[in-house]
Amino acid sequence: MATKAGNWQSYQRVLLPPVKDLHKLSIYGDYAALRSVLTHNSPREVTDIVKRSGLKGRGGAGFPTGLKWSFMPPVDPAVPRYLCCNGDESEPGTFKDRQLMEYNPHQMLEGILIANYAISAKACYLYIRGEFADWITLIETELAKAYEANLVGKNIMGLGFSSDIIVHKGAGAYICGEETSLMESLEGKRAYPRIKPPFPAQSGIWGYPTTINNADTLACVPLIIERGADWFASIGAPTHPGPILYGISGHVNRPGVYEYPSGMLITDLLAVAGGMRGGKKLKAVVPGGASVPVLRADMIEGVTMDADSLHKAGSMLGTAGMLFLDEDTDMVAFLRRVARFYHHESCGQCTPCREGTGWIENLVTRIDEGQGNTRDLDLLLELCDQMEGRTVCALADAAAWPVRNTINRFRADFEAKCRQSVWAAQSAAA
Amino acid sequence: MTDFIKNPVVALPERNPAPHFSEQELVFSAEEKARIARWVSQYPTPDGAVMWVLWLAQEKFGFLPPEVLRLVATELDIPYAQVYGVATFYTQYFKEKKGTYVLDVCTCFSCQLTGGCDILHYLEEKLAIHAGETTADGCFTLQEVECLGACGSAPMLQVSNGPFVYCLTKKKVDALIAALRAGRMPGFTSVTLPQDEDEMGGNRRTDVESTIEYAALPIAVRTR
Repeated sequence: MATKAGNWQSYQRVLLPPVKDLHKLSIYGDYAALRSVLTHNSPREVTDIVKRSGLKGRGGAGFPTGLKWSFMPPVDPAVPRYLCCNGDESEPGTFKDRQLMEYNPHQMLEGILIANYAISAKACYLYIRGEFADWITLIETELAKAYEANLVGKNIMGLGFSSDIIVHKGAGAYICGEETSLMESLEGKRAYPRIKPPFPAQSGIWGYPTTINNADTLACVPLIIERGADWFASIGAPTHPGPILYGISGHVNRPGVYEYPSGMLITDLLAVAGGMRGGKKLKAVVPGGASVPVLRADMIEGVTMDADSLHKAGSMLGTAGMLFLDEDTDMVAFLRRVARFYHHESCGQCTPCREGTGWIENLVTRIDEGQGNTRDLDLLLELCDQMEGRTVCALADAAAWPVRNTINRFRADFEAKCRQSVWAAQSAAA
Repeated sequence: MTDFIKNPVVALPERNPAPHFSEQELVFSAEEKARIARWVSQYPTPDGAVMWVLWLAQEKFGFLPPEVLRLVATELDIPYAQVYGVATFYTQYFKEKKGTYVLDVCTCFSCQLTGGCDILHYLEEKLAIHAGETTADGCFTLQEVECLGACGSAPMLQVSNGPFVYCLTKKKVDALIAALRAGRMPGFTSVTLPQDEDEMGGNRRTDVESTIEYAALPIAVRTR
């Protein structure tokens, strides 16, 4: 069957190439795409090539990367400009960047340098979450090699362009994945998100123009330069082209990171991941990390992994970290854990989120522990209304979406648990 | 669920603890100062280096009591309140003394669904402590943490903010605890891509059929 992903069975991996091919790659070598860009292209042309390729951010929001670069103000020699590479991968169900940093670090570093050139950045801060201590060591080692080979630093390859890459180690806060919060964290403050506008391109780290891209997004850039924007645009779904790292987890036989074109059928991805384990039936899919709405098994027929198709189906692409749940999953317990996550990770800056996430957790816990009442479900939905769109960043929305959609789509599960509760028993006795 | 797990945990930390380190101990060596200077040079203002310096201080002192935070503030010439604010914002900075090994067990949803809570409770039983506590001999601190970004190898845990241990089973946990007691830290494990498995053999967990006793955390853990 022809899908948006085209002939994916014969797809050649480019972000995470087969292990047997790793040594053949430029990864310990030449940074050819960077060399070609520095020799032949102006920064403006690089931005245009990336724009033409249709590359969209892989961090969850899916914003066009070339367009984001073009928001940077005109170059003023007196004002330094920065790039931030977001490697603070903390969304539950997402684990692609870690694999990328381990398998193909130089492609990411090369992408960072090309982006630095395109936006004329003085340096890139590579923000990696503190839990990835081993990968930070690995990146630092590889970066030192690149510095030694004059692929980073002053007058790169003698071609007159200077740019640094600085590794910054986080320390365990989900909120740092939000771009303005990441900037606060880099500045050495508590990572409270900032109000936008001003957008980072106008006033970013230390008030200087800044662009923030996901690690995975930047790793795509050298490929676009090497093989052309048209090649990239032809991979997968036309509206969201390129290779996607699908992080598949949950009740499947072969969980892990899979690289395929965008626009894969969810059912195909389930098949390549070895199907449901123990031969059980699929109950639900979370297609893109904890915050995106969960899809019931009967909603995924013909749905492909791109923004349009998932939007039509009632969900979002997010980070493409897919979680498959089997028929035995207790959706109330599942939602309780998600609610607990957001309660823990709310930074506490805005009241609707700080208090709301706590109340959501309390209410879902009450239902899960058999103390709930059916009206708690409507109270939860009302609570979601009070949280969405009323905070500085999107964490409150991200906390409210799974609650709203899990309750709406699995209401029977929740009601069944409420019917078994102590209150139901009492009222039956009365 | 055993009675042990049902017992609630109620223990608040000391609000104004007596200093843990003497004046003589609270100094950075010349080599550490050079590292700090290198970090400071990488940011437009010294503030940017605060997270790195806190990591360094935690490595050196084991945890970050107020006097260590004050040392960091003095070293970077920034307000103590800012350092305190940063140290208390991030979960990986230890504000209290921890055991020699800190076991961070992930129970976030991918791990929850594949038995992460089982592993946490198994460790609670095995070490006879609740999540968040330290064993009497000061060897282990057990913590429940949010997603560690290794959902494809769930359930998993992290040892002392360092190496990840993947695809946990009770047997693997036993082996890990025994190794740690003998002072052997686990090394770095590379996770095989499923698409590469034919070439590499893979390191997937083998007992996929194992049942899951706890779908969620039991009540006791919640009543803190």
